[in-house]
Amino acid sequence: MSDWGWVVFGYAVLYGTLAAYVASIAYRLRQARRRLGELQ
Amino acid sequence: MSLPFWSQAGEIARADLRSESRTGEVMAVTIPFGAVALLLIPFGIGTDAPLLRQIGVGIYWAVVLLFGMLVALRRSAAEGPAQRDLLGLLGVDPAARFAGRALSTGVLVLAFEVVLGPIAIALYDARITGWAWLILVVPMVAAGLALLSTLIGSIVGGSGAAPALVPFLVAPLAIPMLLAATQSLEGLRLGESILAWLLLLAAMDLVLAIAGVLTARPLQEVR
Amino acid sequence: MTRRRIIEIAAIAGLGGALITALVVPPERTQGDLARLLFVHVPSIWIAYLAFSVTLVTSALYLWKREMRWDRLAAASAEVGVFFTGATILIGMIWGKPTWGVWWTWDARLVLTAVLFFVYLGYLALRRSIIDPVARAHRSALFGVLAIIQIPIVHFSVVWWRTLHQQASILRPGPLQMDPPFRSAFLASVVAFTFVYVALVMRRMQLGRLEDEIEVRLASSHQEVAGAAVAPPRIEGAVDSV
Repeated sequence: MSDWGWVVFGYAVLYGTLAAYVASIAYRLRQARRRLGELQ
Repeated sequence: MSLPFWSQAGEIARADLRSESRTGEVMAVTIPFGAVALLLIPFGIGTDAPLLRQIGVGIYWAVVLLFGMLVALRRSAAEGPAQRDLLGLLGVDPAARFAGRALSTGVLVLAFEVVLGPIAIALYDARITGWAWLILVVPMVAAGLALLSTLIGSIVGGSGAAPALVPFLVAPLAIPMLLAATQSLEGLRLGESILAWLLLLAAMDLVLAIAGVLTARPLQEVR
Repeated sequence: MTRRRIIEIAAIAGLGGALITALVVPPERTQGDLARLLFVHVPSIWIAYLAFSVTLVTSALYLWKREMRWDRLAAASAEVGVFFTGATILIGMIWGKPTWGVWWTWDARLVLTAVLFFVYLGYLALRRSIIDPVARAHRSALFGVLAIIQIPIVHFSVVWWRTLHQQASILRPGPLQMDPPFRSAFLASVVAFTFVYVALVMRRMQLGRLEDEIEVRLASSHQEVAGAAVAPPRIEGAVDSV
């Protein structure tokens, strides 16, 4: 793989995992808000 | 009741060891498990004699570290809130309780090392130079491992996750012990000074002992 | 526009800016285009160290003040720290494969980053194992303080060990030239990642507050009045007088 290929791969992994982490927090936040709504 | 600190610790250690001698988990299970581990490894990496001779010492210390910490998790050492409260009511200093527990664990880890040592030497044809220094290295590693695993055991508490969690938390923090033990023996083999590694071991034991004593009272109060 | 919203926008803008500068900068003299990976690899480990420090300081603060918000911050920072440490290791490996030909070397820095990752993970695993919030805060704070005492010893022993077994200098990367274009790409990443860290920690703390609130509601709603199971004895045909 060319050097640029590795660079793209690296950035894809970084931003991909960041997006996944953000999505997981967003999902857990939504779950928590819904649960709190049920408990009111 | 105010027995001096070391008397309290000694009594607790003695009670621990007596209790352990009844159930015999360490001698009957943990030590043989360590021996099985030593036996098992060449099944995976091959039985080539020069290879085993080269890595034998390292494998021994890795097994001591990984399996030795299970000694701290022995059932006879399991302490529920009831026992803790009882000792508290009796006026036992929590720091002395920690010291006693670490002492008994240390003795058992030492037994672990002493029994498995000859087994490792035999299985891996390990050649040791500077036998005399082992008198320092082996007990200091036992002390460090006992102190660290007892301390982490207290921090984790009695939750059901303890048997898996304690080894996971201990392992990375025990790296200096593993390095000091293996590098000392390696240094002896090469005829180099190992004083620095011994001092590191001693320093670590001291730091862990202090940490254990300082955290004993805060941990006493936690549910 | 809340403070949190501003930081989140800054984080996204920062990431965009950092990405553009990293891609637009000319190739580095010795490492060529691969150096672009270092623009994210090094800031990532710095943020991981920052996150770790925050966890340790707030752990100590919790033990001193016993306020739950310090514990919540310690946990949030630890979780974000695990992310950045993991990202550092992954990017480091992706940079290392074309540079050295191997995914991993036993160089002190890499080994210590891996150890840090597992200690963080252990902290989070410890928190998961404790249900009671106060006990959880207490025990994980004590573990945090133990870690700060023990980790320098680990660091020292590993560095020493690797110095004794010095690797061939071919495997060590040469120093990065820090001409203005590189310096700005680097700085852009550091700034962006800092905003990302703060944004993530704020959201994670919000999640923590909500989860604690749920705990409280659950606990109070399940509590029966003591003695509710005890009913007065009834004689057949009797009529309730009250």
